[in-house]
Amino acid sequence: MLLAEAFAILMVATVVAALMAGYPVALTLAGVSLIFAVFGGVLGIMSFAILGALPQRIFGVMTNEVLLAIPLFIFMGVMLERSRIAEDLLETMGRLFGTLRGGLGISVVIVGTLLAAAKGVVGATTVTMGLIMLPAMLRFGYDPRLAAGTVAATATLAQIFPPATVLVLLGDQLGNAYQAAQLSKGIFSPRSLTVSDLFAGALVPGFALVLLYLLFLVVVAMVWPKASPALPPDPKAPRGIALIRRLAEVLVAPLVLIAAVLGSILGGIATPTEAASIGAVGAVLLAARKAPLATLLKPVCEKTAQIVSMIFLILIGATMFSLVFRALGGDDMVHRALSNLPGGATGAVLAVMLAIFLLGFVMDAFEIIFVVVPIVTPTLLTMPGVDPVWLGVMMAVNLQTSYMHPPLGPTLFFLRGVAPPQITTRHIYVGIIPFVMIQLAALVVLWFVPALATALPNALYRH
Amino acid sequence: MTTIADRIDRLTAVIGRAAAWLVFVVVALQFALVVARYVFGLGSVWLTETVIYAHAALFMLAAAWTLQAGGHVRVDVFYADASARTKALVDLVGALLFLLFFMLVLIWLSVPYAARSWAILERSQEASGLPFVFALKTLIPLFAVLMALQGVAQAIRAATVLARAR
Repeated sequence: MLLAEAFAILMVATVVAALMAGYPVALTLAGVSLIFAVFGGVLGIMSFAILGALPQRIFGVMTNEVLLAIPLFIFMGVMLERSRIAEDLLETMGRLFGTLRGGLGISVVIVGTLLAAAKGVVGATTVTMGLIMLPAMLRFGYDPRLAAGTVAATATLAQIFPPATVLVLLGDQLGNAYQAAQLSKGIFSPRSLTVSDLFAGALVPGFALVLLYLLFLVVVAMVWPKASPALPPDPKAPRGIALIRRLAEVLVAPLVLIAAVLGSILGGIATPTEAASIGAVGAVLLAARKAPLATLLKPVCEKTAQIVSMIFLILIGATMFSLVFRALGGDDMVHRALSNLPGGATGAVLAVMLAIFLLGFVMDAFEIIFVVVPIVTPTLLTMPGVDPVWLGVMMAVNLQTSYMHPPLGPTLFFLRGVAPPQITTRHIYVGIIPFVMIQLAALVVLWFVPALATALPNALYRH
Repeated sequence: MTTIADRIDRLTAVIGRAAAWLVFVVVALQFALVVARYVFGLGSVWLTETVIYAHAALFMLAAAWTLQAGGHVRVDVFYADASARTKALVDLVGALLFLLFFMLVLIWLSVPYAARSWAILERSQEASGLPFVFALKTLIPLFAVLMALQGVAQAIRAATVLARAR
């Protein structure tokens, strides 16, 4: 069996190396795995017949009801982008807080959080914020490092703030792993883990991160006032009652939308898929105020179709990878390695967290969730004291951190692509450092205080 | 050769754009299901399965067009700053070694899989579900064929860039 396991390790290394070449990830995963399956079959260390299971696995992906929430949430996000809510919100929020020192930065974090919650896809959030908010901050004399860091960090909140796409995918995978883990322990009426549990679990840590970001901006404004100056008062701007009315106008609709979607999920009234369809229709209504629906629908449907295809093709590629990895005995090898680590459950979770953090430099969150999570979590969840919601939230915050970590964090590349020319790569890298420290601190706190993640879902769903 | 690539591009784009409207179908029908359930207390296995069919057809048929449009994520660390020639080389090798190889094997595996379903005109396991499971399973070889065609187009275009650069 040793040869097979060496082969499995070689396959993982080859996948990572091949990915760096830049061919689409999903197809690289599928292709490399297939090539290894062929060699494995020829060498007699795995049965090629195992590939016969592939069509049924793909059929399983096609008919997965949990993942039905994905197209709906993505449609909602793309539609909201067209509704130009971001622009309206930033303008009004900027008026509200702008005349305070650090106020514009605070507005950016608040608006960015709303956007992240509504969109759920980091790339889209980064691009919108980079195009709208970064130029505004620079225009009013913000330090380019602070501006770039604030925008990049806030945009990655889309990874963790419910209803994040990442949490839906993670919830699906963890749910399966949790069932498998309990069955392997001989529990035949297993408890379930749902996407709703994960949404509830991520809410408090998400808000805590936002608060820490805001706190950091306030401290910077006090200690180093030049970096985030107050905006000069604009005589033409509405103020007093007029400003409040304007604020209500732009703020109420998106807040109602987010509250309706999240509230119905967290209240246990609706499944994420049901809530997502309400959000999608709500987004249509919001966008219809800005542009005729007939012109919106086609581009929004096409953009959504491409993002959905992208995600599911990775899932198909990852399915192929898992099939071959399992046939080579890779699962057993990982199980043994994790079980034999010093420190028991603590050591195993720590090792997985470190691996995810490092893999996050080269792989997208989607790939990690589809490839790594199904391999490691069935083992982790059989260990004493590892709560599935806590593990999921830790993984989500971890993935979010590696998303913004220099030098390879994808958010930094997205931002680099849309930032105005006076922002250099160095500005972005230096600016993000304090936020990465905040993230790592949050992970440490979450490690020692699991209740931050588990208390809300326990109160809501597990009486 | 490039006319073949053009034809393939047109074909996958027409199918992909048509499949994109399934997004609207999914949104509308899922919303209708929610209204039916929470307002009228009604449920329909038939309608629920229609949403699943639409969703499956959506990404299975739009994947090739997404590849053409550059919508599938790549690891951008080196690729983004690479020369047109290097990019073409990556695309050519990737299309032949990964995409085409995988999709041809998938066709070989999934045609008998779908054929078994056709032979018994397989229907939903739910009594009131849709009787079209064989059509749903046919999406797998169809997806593989479209992707393989798009891979041929990608390889042709990449080879053209490489030939011109020499």
